[in-house]
Amino acid sequence: METRLCSVLLAAALLAGCSWFHRGEQAPTQIVAEDPQGQPSVIEPQVNRRDVKTPKIKAKDFEVGAYFGALSVQDFGTNPVYGIRLAYHVSEDLFVEGYAAYSKAGQSSLEEVFPQITVLSSSGRQFTYYDLDVGYNVLPGEIFLGRGRAFNSALYVTFGIGDVKFADQDQFALNFGVGARILVTDWLALHMDVRDHIFESNLFGVDKNVDNIEATLGLTTFF
Amino acid sequence: MRPLLALVLLLQAFHSNLAHAAERHLELVVTQPYLEMHSGPGRGFPIVYVAERDELITVLFSRTEWYKVRAPRGQEGWVRRADLALTTLTSGEPAPIPPYPEFSTHHWEVGAGYGVYNRENLVTAYGDYSLTDSIDAEFVVQQALGTLDNRYITTIGLRHTFVPEWKWFSPTAGLGAGYQYIDDKVPPAPRDKSNEMAYVSLGVRGFITRRFMWRADWRHYVVFNNLNVSEELEEWKLGFAVFF
Repeated sequence: METRLCSVLLAAALLAGCSWFHRGEQAPTQIVAEDPQGQPSVIEPQVNRRDVKTPKIKAKDFEVGAYFGALSVQDFGTNPVYGIRLAYHVSEDLFVEGYAAYSKAGQSSLEEVFPQITVLSSSGRQFTYYDLDVGYNVLPGEIFLGRGRAFNSALYVTFGIGDVKFADQDQFALNFGVGARILVTDWLALHMDVRDHIFESNLFGVDKNVDNIEATLGLTTFF
Repeated sequence: MRPLLALVLLLQAFHSNLAHAAERHLELVVTQPYLEMHSGPGRGFPIVYVAERDELITVLFSRTEWYKVRAPRGQEGWVRRADLALTTLTSGEPAPIPPYPEFSTHHWEVGAGYGVYNRENLVTAYGDYSLTDSIDAEFVVQQALGTLDNRYITTIGLRHTFVPEWKWFSPTAGLGAGYQYIDDKVPPAPRDKSNEMAYVSLGVRGFITRRFMWRADWRHYVVFNNLNVSEELEEWKLGFAVFF
């Protein structure tokens, strides 16, 4: 009994499935016209409607990439820094940018002179930051390589705020920078940046503003 | 050298994937007496080619208000948005160059800024969607960096713009709810590490240029805690935003 019920239900489901698959196929509408002799003739329209799609213009206003360079952590020497960046170009002059990077500070002069003193633990030496910046293309132009090659470029200034984590503490930081962007192709750009991250530190007992200057080289792609 | 090579290859792969997706380009007919093509996407770049009337140009992509185009004989250059908007499709219809989003009726807005939250420095970022011309839903993520603690704050709320058609200066008011997480630096530890909050806000906003705008906001928070008296906090911030 149960098997029969199952097969009936299955058949019904299959029929429903088939009719669902054929839901778009309606019998062609026949237009019947009377011809002068009184003989009806059948005209089947063969013209398919053409959908003209205009291709969309791709906007390439975003820039994403990575950079590498040297970061001088005040009192802790100069060390490699690795970062990633994402930028959005608002107009030919203005862009907004966010980036994050990692570095590890070295030994302070105090530690070098007195090796028994440890100012920071290993995790405290990790220097990470993120920043949100506004940039302005001050000097857009072209850079020439020999006679036959010209690359679009721009010298820009940036200003922003962010967070620096150093000595196991997050600090509010300001940053100022100047950089050059050279477009190797329309989608690949080479960046050279010098940036100062300024924050207040009291690591050595006195509150002072420390300057952490970095020089980096980066590659980005526009999309 | 190897990481650099890997990065270039990665970027290349990333780019070629994107390029594949948009292989068909838009073709437009020059209807004005001529169309100037610059060597770069900026007002100062020299004109390197001039397309004539009735020439068919291919639009490759856009960057800010400039469009990279290719002339029939392969010359490439950048055309200003306003100039390209004067061309037509091959069918004679106007070129589908989207107009700039209107300041008073834009839909999306993304911004960031600086502020002071409970006497701590504040880094703030937000996204905003216009529900109507005057009411927006905003989502804010911010980090307050102080000497005693760091706080991570996220809020969601509604904001009303009183006169959306006032371009340069328009007052706003809002309310919403949020959540803060306290990461203490100096003992004693706070009673609650995280709290729910509600806020009211007053602010102003104005247009700067093209798609760039500024906002200033004051917020008053009520922090729901386990004490008998709710804690109250104040926040000031100034930010810049891009709208779409």
